[in-house]
Amino acid sequence: MNVMITGAAGGLGRALANECGSRGFNLFLTDVNEDGLLSIKLGLERQFNVTVTTKSCDLTNAESVDKMLAIIDKYGIRFDMLLNIAGLDFEGEFIGRDREKLVKIVMLNNAATLRITHAIIKRRRPGKHFTIVFVSSLASMFPMPLKATYAASKRFLLDFAASLRQELKKEDVNVLALCPGGMVTTQETLCSIKAQGFWGNVTTNPLEDVARNTIDRALAGRSIYVPGIPNRLLSFFGKIMPRSWVAAVVYWRWNNAQSKWLNHN
Amino acid sequence: MKTIVITGASSGIGLETARILTRKGFNVLGIGHSEVNCNRAKGSILSENPDADITYFLADLMQQREVIRVADEITLCLNQKSNGKLHALINNAGCVRSWYMTTEEGYEQQFALNHLAGFLLTYKLLPALKKAHGRVIMTGSESHKGIRVHWDDVMLRRRYNPLTAYKQSKLCNLLFAKGLNDRYATAAIRAYVVDPGLVKTGIGNKETGWLVNFIWTLRKRGGVQPEVPAETYAFLCERETVPDGLYYYLCKKKNYSKQVTSENADRLFKLSERLCGIEYENEIAHDRKVRAK
Ligand SMILES: NC(=O)c1ccc[n+]([C@@H]2O[C@H](COP(=O)([O-])OP(=O)(O)OC[C@H]3O[C@@H](n4cnc5c(N)ncnc54)[C@H](OP(=O)(O)O)[C@@H]3O)[C@@H](O)[C@H]2O)c1
Repeated sequence: MNVMITGAAGGLGRALANECGSRGFNLFLTDVNEDGLLSIKLGLERQFNVTVTTKSCDLTNAESVDKMLAIIDKYGIRFDMLLNIAGLDFEGEFIGRDREKLVKIVMLNNAATLRITHAIIKRRRPGKHFTIVFVSSLASMFPMPLKATYAASKRFLLDFAASLRQELKKEDVNVLALCPGGMVTTQETLCSIKAQGFWGNVTTNPLEDVARNTIDRALAGRSIYVPGIPNRLLSFFGKIMPRSWVAAVVYWRWNNAQSKWLNHN
Repeated sequence: MKTIVITGASSGIGLETARILTRKGFNVLGIGHSEVNCNRAKGSILSENPDADITYFLADLMQQREVIRVADEITLCLNQKSNGKLHALINNAGCVRSWYMTTEEGYEQQFALNHLAGFLLTYKLLPALKKAHGRVIMTGSESHKGIRVHWDDVMLRRRYNPLTAYKQSKLCNLLFAKGLNDRYATAAIRAYVVDPGLVKTGIGNKETGWLVNFIWTLRKRGGVQPEVPAETYAFLCERETVPDGLYYYLCKKKNYSKQVTSENADRLFKLSERLCGIEYENEIAHDRKVRAK
């Protein structure tokens, strides 16, 4: 089994890489962080008996992606699974944020994800089952004032995954959208979860469980994975409540949490 | 003047140990990962003892390439200051986590910092320790008891329990010390583990969730000041004749877990060597023969 992971040097990427490594899958890892890629490659090779290939690449840059694809083609690497982990999170009021940084969220979370997915489906191993995972978010279930761009970019992935899944069913491809709540991957995520107080704790998912279940479910042909019962309940309410109410509640909650978080920092 | 390296010397037990050792005339090289905390620690030591010989090095010991970089810097410094001799290495930096978090290598953080960092740093500083017939001291804990090493899943990915991960990392400290003594008795390097007891430090309040935070805030109220365990490190560093024993509490030998066997130590050495990409010289067979005679 050959698996490509984007954003592999980050917290969730590393956890999924460990999960795949422990299952004996060979890995092709990419990220913008070259040093980080080198470290995770060493760690995986020392822990598991698997082949790990890395190539740093800026997925928002078509040229950079073409260079990576050229290497993949040169060595004739073909894939059985693609884990689209690379993504940006970024909080705050739309109008108060740096314009280019906002645009970058959509460029990476959406445009770049489409680019790499299109390219890797074309490089699937012929005649074999293929699996794609998109990392959406619990935030994709609601309109989210103060996380407007991020949440909408995740909604894009959620809907896109469902449509693509239908299109590719006949090609023996499964597509899964992962919609986690918070996960503690860095000190910053920890601070932001703490600032959300009770709800931050309830919606937080253990990273190692999410990694294991994601691979299990993707291979079992599931379409969506919302980790944790509280998150499933929240996403259910998100569906039945009028969207303007949801927006008002979310605004009120994030406004509190973010002022705490900003004061804390 | 004898030189001592202390990791995690920017707060808590490590800081007080650095303070007491400089007071006793040792040249101390401290390692910390926050510039602010290191500067504050240095200022605090110098303010009460302006002659203290203390230097701080910055490194995030959770990342292996940082351990290697700082070890090279320290080796350079030892060559300039003390003929390349290191009298003692105190592997003290440690952390507590509430969640499964990984280092850049993808290793679980408590295992990586509390055990692997010291394992790799000791390896890198071994030549300097050999020159001085030096001592290696780990900060262990009573919590190493009542647990075994989860050999089939040391990073505890399958079922993560933060307390289990902590306890296991502290058991590894004892196994590492045991393994060092097995290997380097003839080279006259001696390893110890100090049980500091319950100490009032911030360890459970850094990068932890509310539950661990809350429990630690209550628990540490019953603890002693870090000056108390610092005496035990000073005792182990100062004695002219090399103290025997492995596990120390309040300057006295103490019993340790039955899990601390040469067999488990060998197993941990093999695993850790693989995870660090290094190989300690194999003097073990030789050493065991010498002791059997
Ligand atoms: N407190 C107790 O009751 C107790 C009991 C038994 C054993 N211990 C052990 O004692 C040792 C010291 O703990 P402590 O209680 O003194 O806690 P502490 O005050 O938090 O000290 C830990 C030290 O390690 C440093 N450190 C943390 N992460 C690091 C990293 N990634 N790279 C480099 N340095 C890092 C810290 O730096 P910062 O100053 O920047 O945070 C600090 O200097 C630990 O090994 C712990 O397991 C403590």
